[in-house]
Amino acid sequence: MAGHLVRLKLALLRNGLRRSQWQQQLGLVLGALGGLPLAAGGFLLLALLPRAEPRFGPLLVQVVFVALFLGWLLFPLLSFGGDTSLDPARLVLLPLRPGELMSGLFLAGCVGIAPLCTLAALAGGVVGFAPVGPGLALAVAAVLVQFALCVVGSRALLTVLSRQLRSRRARDLGILLVSLAGLTVSLAVQVGARMAERFERQDVEALRPIGRVAGWLPPGLAARALVDAGRGRLLAATGELLLAALVVLLLGWWWWRSLDRVLTTAEPPAMARSRQAAGLVPRLVRPFLPADQRGAVAAKELRYLARHPRLRVSWLTSGLLSLALVVLVALNDWNHPALVLSALVMVFLVGQNSLNQFGWDGPAYWANAAAGADPRGDLVGRNLAAMLAGLGGTAVLAVALAAVTGGWRYVPVALFVAVGVLAVVLGVCDVVSVRFPYPVPEVTSNLWAVEGTGQGCLVGLMQMVAFAVQGALLLPVLTLVGVGVFVWRPLLAIACPVAVLYGLVLWRVGLGMGARWLRDHQPELLTALTPRRAA
Amino acid sequence: MMLRAGRRGKGDGRLSGVTAASPPQADRSPTALTVRGLRKAFGPKVAVAGIDLDIPHGCFFGLVGPNGAGKTTTLGMVTGLLRPDAGQVLVDGIEVWRDPAAAKRRIGVLPEDLRLFERLTGAELLTYNGLLRGMPPPTVEERAHELLDVLGLADAAGTLVVDYSHGMRKKIALGAALLHAPRVLFLDEPFEAIDPVSARTIRGLLERYTEGGATVVFSSHVMELVERLCDRVGIMHLGRLIAEGPTERVRAGRSLEDAFVELVGAGGTAREELGWLGTSSA
Repeated sequence: MAGHLVRLKLALLRNGLRRSQWQQQLGLVLGALGGLPLAAGGFLLLALLPRAEPRFGPLLVQVVFVALFLGWLLFPLLSFGGDTSLDPARLVLLPLRPGELMSGLFLAGCVGIAPLCTLAALAGGVVGFAPVGPGLALAVAAVLVQFALCVVGSRALLTVLSRQLRSRRARDLGILLVSLAGLTVSLAVQVGARMAERFERQDVEALRPIGRVAGWLPPGLAARALVDAGRGRLLAATGELLLAALVVLLLGWWWWRSLDRVLTTAEPPAMARSRQAAGLVPRLVRPFLPADQRGAVAAKELRYLARHPRLRVSWLTSGLLSLALVVLVALNDWNHPALVLSALVMVFLVGQNSLNQFGWDGPAYWANAAAGADPRGDLVGRNLAAMLAGLGGTAVLAVALAAVTGGWRYVPVALFVAVGVLAVVLGVCDVVSVRFPYPVPEVTSNLWAVEGTGQGCLVGLMQMVAFAVQGALLLPVLTLVGVGVFVWRPLLAIACPVAVLYGLVLWRVGLGMGARWLRDHQPELLTALTPRRAA
Repeated sequence: MMLRAGRRGKGDGRLSGVTAASPPQADRSPTALTVRGLRKAFGPKVAVAGIDLDIPHGCFFGLVGPNGAGKTTTLGMVTGLLRPDAGQVLVDGIEVWRDPAAAKRRIGVLPEDLRLFERLTGAELLTYNGLLRGMPPPTVEERAHELLDVLGLADAAGTLVVDYSHGMRKKIALGAALLHAPRVLFLDEPFEAIDPVSARTIRGLLERYTEGGATVVFSSHVMELVERLCDRVGIMHLGRLIAEGPTERVRAGRSLEDAFVELVGAGGTAREELGWLGTSSA
């Protein structure tokens, strides 16, 4: 049975490569490329630490072991929906006892990029710490116990939480966390790098209490066993190792119990939360939206902004970047009041969401196509929603920047010019989005899932072209604003209405072109938005 | 069109505002749906190989056929959602592919795979569909409320569609298709994977609906249901309509299932194959 499940895992990995889109294959390759330096880095760190840092080495090994364990607990939780081999419910119909299933799942858990990299990194500990003699065996055992802790702990936690993780809410949250994690990590690295500049050796002393606590956590015990084995304290090492191994057994027991429960008890029906019926149109924007097709489309778009996990990610990313901009300006004492106008960069970037504005509908677009409603109204509704959300965000960012730099007089300029910029961007989007649409899957099992229609490259290329066209069309407005800021201030008063007028004219041109094409090609748009079924 | 008396019971629909859209327009067009020479191929595979069909007003029409017969493709083309390679489709006398907007105003659609706006609540989805079709907001609210009530979804009105069960999705999609009181209703597999209570509700609603002069065209695998509900049936096989007409005539004294199996040419299971079934050693 164990061999069978290992083969299943290998087959899943292999088939994932064979069947998936090039993006997913790229993801796997990138995963391997990202894992390689991590494995090599971990190996070198653990191998060189004892000689480079004889005093703090043991402490750092404990921190590394604990961090590794936490990583193993957390990352599978986030990728639960994407990895079909993680969900015990998939095997519920097979006539297997938990014991058989456990050994198979454990061995399958040892196969893959992450376990391979973990083992490679941990091997550095053996190289770095182990002496020749009986200590070597203990050091190897310590590393293996740490590895078992990671795999068994992660599997046990996954099994316990598998029902909750399968819920739509948990998957939505997972997507949000994974997406924002990248951004947060990169921001944290920046902050960390700054702090590291002022880092003194004696600051490590501050880590001592943390080390003392970490030393008694199961992975910390394994780390201490490794260090003690290296220093020839064999008795202490054996004791610590036995304690850590006991924890592995306890985790295994917990896993076995949960697996038994998951396999033998019926899943209670999910109780979906019912919202207060507030109507389709959000109350906040009701005064701005007409009570017709345009208003309905705009309201639907705004609801999706708040509820579609991927749209939420893209808007939150914009929000975080805005926040980073404000913090950057505040930290660096850049006091030029015209910095308020940098909010325009944000409105330009947010507008790019509309390049595939039908893609978020996906195959559900048939409802619009079947209604026989005016395609122009459909586009106007989408643009209205983008305008409301974009301008709202810009207003907040501009005010925040003004509060930091004192450039309050630039706030109205930023808002007026933002209308113009967004209008130009949306005009281009109205053409591109109907000619080069692609579906964004609603199914949230995998953040990186793409349901391409076989024209991914063309779509990407066209979006680059659209980006360039938008830039070229915006050049006159930006030049006007630039001259106003740096050469002749009164020009800004003229730039405001000119930007709005210019934007509206170009928007109407784009809207007209998009609507004309859409009027004759709704079925083709619907086909493009409907992922092809596997034959 | 003759409706066979006694075949239908009174529907249990309580809808007041969502019955027939307007009086039957038989004077303007004798048929609710006319199809001539409809063809569609996907690459080398011919999905629909030339179909001619006339469905009178007020008719309950069942389209049956094995998987892959071309039913869904046909329904996609007659509702203006899938462009045919050739052929003509008239709904209520209006040519669908020449004036799609006018034709679509007269039809309601329930698609097979229930592609809905998942992140709207049930009530929001109905409102969205109503406003999309240019209905006045108070009418939309009133009808949506009534439909949710009749379909047994009042308690789930504020739940996101993504959290609905399959049966609930089917019912809310049917509500969205009925909201604007279309003249012709196209339903792809409306009774598939539906519990008996929901099926009864839907059946009652549809029967009531055709009594008001509207036309229902639906595809199904449930022969017994088609036989019981439909005035006319069409049997599709390999992209062609191999039999079409009043149900009694197509049945020709047999059950519809027997007639279907005979026409499609599928035999029973060969006794010598799968001989190991029923010899469980576990």
